[in-house]
Amino acid sequence: MSDPRADFLVVGATPLARLLAGLLAGTHGRRVAFVGESQSGYRLPRGIDLSVAPVTRPESWALVAQALPETLRLIGRIAGRGAWSHVDPIFFADTVGGREALSHIRQMAAGFGIAAERVAPSMLGRGRDGVVLRDAVRLNRPVLEAALDAWLDRQGVQRLPPEGLAIGMDGSAAPAHSPEAPLARQAVLADDAAIMALLPLRQWPTLLRRQRAATILTTPTRPIAGPVMLQIDTGTMLLQQEEGGIAAMGPGDMARFSAGLQLLLGQERQVQQAGQTAYQRLETLDGAPAVGRAAGTGADILAGLGPTGAFLAPVLARWLAGAATPQEEGWLGARLVNRPGTPSPAADYRPAIPDMAA
Amino acid sequence: MRPQLNRLAAEAGKGFGGSAIDRGKPLRFRLDGRLISGFAGDTVLSAALASGIDTLGRHGEHPLGLTLRAAPPIAYAALAADPQRALPMARTPALDGADLVTMGGSRRASLLARLFQPGRTLGLVLDDPHALDEPWRQVRGVARDGGDLVVVGGGVAGLSAALAAARAGLRVTLVEAEPHPGGRSGLFGTQEGEDSPEASMGRLTAEVAASDAITVLTGTHAFALRPGLVRVHRVDLSGATAQGQVLDLAAPRIVLATGAVERLPLFAGNRLPGVVGTADAYALATRYGIWPGRRAVLATVSSPAYRLAMLASDAGIAIDRILDSRPRPSSRFIEFAKAYGIRQFPGTVPGSAQPAKAGGTVSVHLPDRAEEEGIVTDRLVVCGGWQPDLTLWHVAGGDSVWEEVRHRLAARGTLDGIALAGSAAGYLTRRGCIQSGADAVDQLLGRERRPVDDPVIEALYETPDDPAFAAGPRPDKAPCYLDDGPDLLERPAPRRRRWRDLFGRPRRAGLPALSEAPQPLAIGHVAAGVDLGLIPAASAGIVAQERVALVPLAGPEAVPEPEDAAPAPADVPFYLAGRFGPDARVLLVVPEEERLLETGALIYPNSDGTDPLQAIGVVLRPCPGGATALLRGDIPSSGRLLTVRDHGRPVPARTAQPPG
Repeated sequence: MSDPRADFLVVGATPLARLLAGLLAGTHGRRVAFVGESQSGYRLPRGIDLSVAPVTRPESWALVAQALPETLRLIGRIAGRGAWSHVDPIFFADTVGGREALSHIRQMAAGFGIAAERVAPSMLGRGRDGVVLRDAVRLNRPVLEAALDAWLDRQGVQRLPPEGLAIGMDGSAAPAHSPEAPLARQAVLADDAAIMALLPLRQWPTLLRRQRAATILTTPTRPIAGPVMLQIDTGTMLLQQEEGGIAAMGPGDMARFSAGLQLLLGQERQVQQAGQTAYQRLETLDGAPAVGRAAGTGADILAGLGPTGAFLAPVLARWLAGAATPQEEGWLGARLVNRPGTPSPAADYRPAIPDMAA
Repeated sequence: MRPQLNRLAAEAGKGFGGSAIDRGKPLRFRLDGRLISGFAGDTVLSAALASGIDTLGRHGEHPLGLTLRAAPPIAYAALAADPQRALPMARTPALDGADLVTMGGSRRASLLARLFQPGRTLGLVLDDPHALDEPWRQVRGVARDGGDLVVVGGGVAGLSAALAAARAGLRVTLVEAEPHPGGRSGLFGTQEGEDSPEASMGRLTAEVAASDAITVLTGTHAFALRPGLVRVHRVDLSGATAQGQVLDLAAPRIVLATGAVERLPLFAGNRLPGVVGTADAYALATRYGIWPGRRAVLATVSSPAYRLAMLASDAGIAIDRILDSRPRPSSRFIEFAKAYGIRQFPGTVPGSAQPAKAGGTVSVHLPDRAEEEGIVTDRLVVCGGWQPDLTLWHVAGGDSVWEEVRHRLAARGTLDGIALAGSAAGYLTRRGCIQSGADAVDQLLGRERRPVDDPVIEALYETPDDPAFAAGPRPDKAPCYLDDGPDLLERPAPRRRRWRDLFGRPRRAGLPALSEAPQPLAIGHVAAGVDLGLIPAASAGIVAQERVALVPLAGPEAVPEPEDAAPAPADVPFYLAGRFGPDARVLLVVPEEERLLETGALIYPNSDGTDPLQAIGVVLRPCPGGATALLRGDIPSSGRLLTVRDHGRPVPARTAQPPG
């Protein structure tokens, strides 16, 4: 095998993937190639970057709280202050189990100094509990992505076209048509689409399962209770845009998700679909993130990190570069992708949606 | 009563007298209280345009033109409170004595504004994103048998498909949005060996009318589709008044002969009153005898505009000049246009347009000329090229791909029970479109398919279309829209922060990115996005499919209820597994004061504890006598004093054995 051109090939279309590639090259001095399309300017969203998530593990809250200032300083240098904004997301639940989880999340947020207040039932509807988490940070992807692309160039990251990659069982990456000329010693599959497209099936972790999901954009409608809302029973996220349209994303095939969304928004709220897409995403069986090498020797995987993933980019870059702190080592070591799914000492809250595997 | 200022004479040349109207049958109706005159055969929109109403209203600070694709819904005044009674202005026939009102949008001051409304405008304020919504899109359809095949589109391809299907023994329903079938191929003229477009359309239309196997639904617009079903909105004239109906036409086979949409060139002011596309200008003139003003400027990327210029010139319109983005265009139409003495400016495009201060309707500015050198004219007729109308194809889940050579999205792949024909399928000539209608039927019937002859003239003699030209952004001018449809989507631009926004109401800001658009993206928007570099060509097809305006046609899905069984007091949720060590156990904690302990409250060894990482337990849920809690295994099972920190407040509590 000839000497690869890069130490790492990072594949992914999310801000996390870009941040990771740039940090590995710029901060850790690695030779890095990157594959990923900037999509947020024209595609429907499939996820968001938010500094809070429906997480019940204190060590996860602690890690995000520690990484957040570092990440925001970095993003500020790259893209300026317009690349993020402060929002007050609302997490809400309808079921007994969901309401219990919500209570755990609220207490945990309060334990880490985040103002977590109950939402008046009149704002959410009867039989529904809600919590507003004050002053969370949301990344503005359309602004950030353009700046990240320019930053990657400055960091010396080589950007490659998306076609024709093959990942070896040893984690290396090569062009599909000439596997004898590797591009990188180690591939990092940094989002769900990259993992599903490129990970060799023989190394598919038992911890991960595919899930049908959909995004629907509605035409403008009257304001919902908050600009960012998450129904934690189902994992349905509602984002109301400045123009009034609601981007909703969540599990289920299109027909079921569309019907569920109409119920969630209320039958009296007349909205039309301004966009829709169905896709697959990954979930972990125990609800916790999954990181590390597939089958112990394959490509590095970053899955199940949820909306806070982008804020962990410096932590993940240090870990991949072998420079993680003991605390970071401990957190990531407990969430290796080759762990058994159940029972799991790292298990975290996840919506219980039966019969959703794609 | 408003005189018909914009109606050409009955004897205007080249068919510009209006084939759809009967000048021997004048009529009058009211629109928003104004008395409007027209002729039998007019639509409400054509009568309004003929009467000099060319402005829809204001969008932001600028006037917006009233066009065939951008007109508000209307209703009979007595039924205006019911949105479900809304009718399309462009498809509703003008009926004598009708009292109609426009719906959608709003008006700044109703009575006064109506009394003193300038004559040219409908006076709508279009800042509400739902201003031009079609209310019937929300209405469920009435089931109707569509026969063995539904053909959507009554141009030459659709007519040909209907006839081919009828010859094959199928019962056919032909759906056409216009009041008459025939289509718009007349604009594109004749190639060697062809009869005239009018002769083709007339022959096919007559054959369809004579066929017992074909039911033609005119004034009927298909807006939703899935395999086996087409949802249409029809303007029914069987009663004394026009009535809207939403029908679900069931048929195992569907042909989409939806034609091509004309692209809007991208320059500031491209939707001002007085700016019109060549296809709309041709349709208004030939069907209704309408041509506002007596002089015009054309700006094009495509040769049929030259043909329109000659036809208009024959009808007495002074064509000042034709601007063409192509540096050295060649076409049989161009040679003829030279003979007409029409001045031609190859390699030239408008930089912007703005309302003329005097002496005309619109002032056209060229990029390299001073502002004061604007060309004042009555009408700016523009063409940004042609895009196959794949809207319903995308609605049905069809795929498409960007063709770099022709600067357009083209369909890719197949769909069960659905076939494309004509311009929608990418054919460029009338012969190709007619043959493709029969080919689509062969495809659906699983017959052997014959090659379609689409004899495109060599580029040496007929220069291909350019991409729709895109002038540089002009934030100081009227908006640049991406398409001429009802979704008023402006060219995205990065948001700029202004100091004055801190002290007052922020100015209406444009879109920073196409993904932020709250309305569906029409196929013209996507094509414009590619031309502007906002959408990579490789992603254009998926964006068009993802952002198409879709009306779900499936019945209400049963949404499974999430599991909602109340847990037993000692149940430990899966996400707490291992949190307090492998030997953690469930105990009762009894607060020393009367207080309900909430689920999730963290438990510490003493009142100093505040760091969640140092917690030794967590409250599971309240129960009689206290609360169950998951605690570290080394905590004594009874009598141990602990601190429960419930929303920050320390609450002393003691452990006890759990109930049961």
